[in-house]
Amino acid sequence: MSSTPIDFDKTKSFLIDTTKCTGCRGCQVACKQWNQLKAEKTVFFSGEGYQNPPLMSEYTFTRVKFKDYQKNGQNEFAFYKEMCMHCNEPACASVCPVGAFKKTPEGPVVYDADRCIGCRFCMIACPFGVPKYEWSKAFPLVRKCTGCYSRIKEGLQPACATACPTAITYGSRADMIKEAEKRLKNRPDRYYHAIYGKEEAGGTSVLYLTHQPLDELGFKPVTKRPLPSYTWQALRLVPGIFLTVGGGLSLLSWFTHRTERIRREEAFKNSKVQPETTEEENREDQP
Amino acid sequence: MTAATRIIINEIKGYHNFLKFMIFLVVLSALATMVRFIFGLGVTTNLNDVYPWGLWISFDVVTAVPLAAGAFTLGAIVHCFHIKKLEPLVRPAIVTGFLGYSLVCVGLLLDLGQPQRAWHTMVYWNVHSPMFEVSMCIMAYTTVLFMEFLSPVCEKFGYHLPLRVLRWLEMPLVIGAAAISTLHQSSLGTFFLIAVDKLHALWYNPLLPLLFWMSAIFTGISIIILEATMVHRYLDQPDESELLEILAKILPWTLGAYLIVKLAATALLSHGPLYDRPSLLALFLAEIIIGVIIPMFMFMQKSYREDNRMQLRGASLVIAGVVLNRFNVSMFGMEQADQAIYYPSIIESLVTIGIIAAHVLFFVLLAKYFPIFEHHPETVDYTMPDRAFKTTAELGHTQAAASEAGH
Repeated sequence: MSSTPIDFDKTKSFLIDTTKCTGCRGCQVACKQWNQLKAEKTVFFSGEGYQNPPLMSEYTFTRVKFKDYQKNGQNEFAFYKEMCMHCNEPACASVCPVGAFKKTPEGPVVYDADRCIGCRFCMIACPFGVPKYEWSKAFPLVRKCTGCYSRIKEGLQPACATACPTAITYGSRADMIKEAEKRLKNRPDRYYHAIYGKEEAGGTSVLYLTHQPLDELGFKPVTKRPLPSYTWQALRLVPGIFLTVGGGLSLLSWFTHRTERIRREEAFKNSKVQPETTEEENREDQP
Repeated sequence: MTAATRIIINEIKGYHNFLKFMIFLVVLSALATMVRFIFGLGVTTNLNDVYPWGLWISFDVVTAVPLAAGAFTLGAIVHCFHIKKLEPLVRPAIVTGFLGYSLVCVGLLLDLGQPQRAWHTMVYWNVHSPMFEVSMCIMAYTTVLFMEFLSPVCEKFGYHLPLRVLRWLEMPLVIGAAAISTLHQSSLGTFFLIAVDKLHALWYNPLLPLLFWMSAIFTGISIIILEATMVHRYLDQPDESELLEILAKILPWTLGAYLIVKLAATALLSHGPLYDRPSLLALFLAEIIIGVIIPMFMFMQKSYREDNRMQLRGASLVIAGVVLNRFNVSMFGMEQADQAIYYPSIIESLVTIGIIAAHVLFFVLLAKYFPIFEHHPETVDYTMPDRAFKTTAELGHTQAAASEAGH
């Protein structure tokens, strides 16, 4: 959680026009090269359709999902590039007990491997199922798309956006939304009328345009409200509850113990004995 | 050999065999832990990117924490609500709680990918994280329980000065324990508020933290009933069923309140279809009927409350219901319709069984060697002398004493 508010309009965002995607998977290769990720031994058709590898993993930060369908009696493909959505208000950043995730003002949600304790709460929290775990290791960490933060800081575009010949446009979020809306307006028959990521999870830095209805392509239906607000509405009560329960029980105990306390004091006042005498004498002897 | 000695010898043998079996289970789980650290989580568990949390989180943390809630519940009942009669039950409850929380810490450390960095939570604060909140609370509360547990230890070895300090700290510790427990018992529910589109609508509602806290209270009470009955049966301690009857009187109220809030929250505050998954609906109904409604009606009957065996049965039902509830929330309800079903691997199961065995084993050993069941009146008065808190005017007893206390 960063302290200064981020202007989300200015964050760098991906506009991925899946109608223009050719399924070349250049983005997958570029991603592996830039992030120096190991190759995975995979078997074709081990996943849902033609896509390979079947799922994102510790070695695969992005992959193109293939959806085959019939159109006018002909087999057609639709593609969907799956990657970290770089949410404006990331669930992973809010649930991480050590704050290992951070939304940068530039746009990418970055992960600090030196802080991570490996609790996997980010994986539970992420509505898109993006953070992946190093299951192969004895002391695993989390891996996910970095939004090529190291490249962006140097003024470059992310590796996948650079490699993509057709579908990915990269720029400020406001510009990308404007561009997407323009395309929707100009070619209403080409597009399913929605920008996935404009409002999903409170807005993300990855925006999608599609031809098919979103759920048919495998886009997860996700709440429009920023996810951190769901837990914060309970967590913000924590200090108040602590003080209420602590104070309430203290007060209650004071009252319930009152009778006993008064009785003891009375007994002490009325008693002729001086129970502390011996101790006091000893103490007065000391320097 | 007479018949009497044979019976005694058999009893001792049985006790030793029981201890040996428990030690065997603990050692087995220690070995399983080593395997986990050598070969990694991926190979030894059935966890994967779809099911990042499995048995270790669902049982060792999410379920074990409410099961260890007896200490704070009873502490508040006895000391804050001042039902002093129940005092004999407090100390065993504290031992159960302390063991429970220590083992929660062990379970949590095993599940972490980087357990050597657990201290990071204390350095890199993220107040927006329920996990941060829970880990801080668990660390704080384990410390509180440890200090409460020091009483029998100091008594055993006759350390008088620490006992005096501990007696003086008793009330602050009890109140602190209740406040901290309220926070983390409820925050365990907050964990799953982030799983908006993952946790099924039968369990997902914004009142989940409140429900977790309320169920922790009646689970704590039920665990005390279970534990006291077991201790009476197998460790030859006096029958406390008269005291347990008082606790049993509280149960229908807490269960009833929970039932009302739960049904209201499910009916009014949940989003999404409730009846679309028959298996989940069955689990939901099982949890409510077995764990809440049946025991509630049982404990509403005076004859059941007074009956030692019925107390145990009712309490066991409540506990079973809570275990099912926590698994429903953290495991079954999180499984999506089209995904493969998670089940724990042998290593995962061995570790969890070992943790339960360790709890029983340590409890039996502590009960044997430390004075946790002895409720004779104390021969030494450990209370702080009153003049330690009094100013001159108030005391009015002897001038010498007053001037002593003045500074």
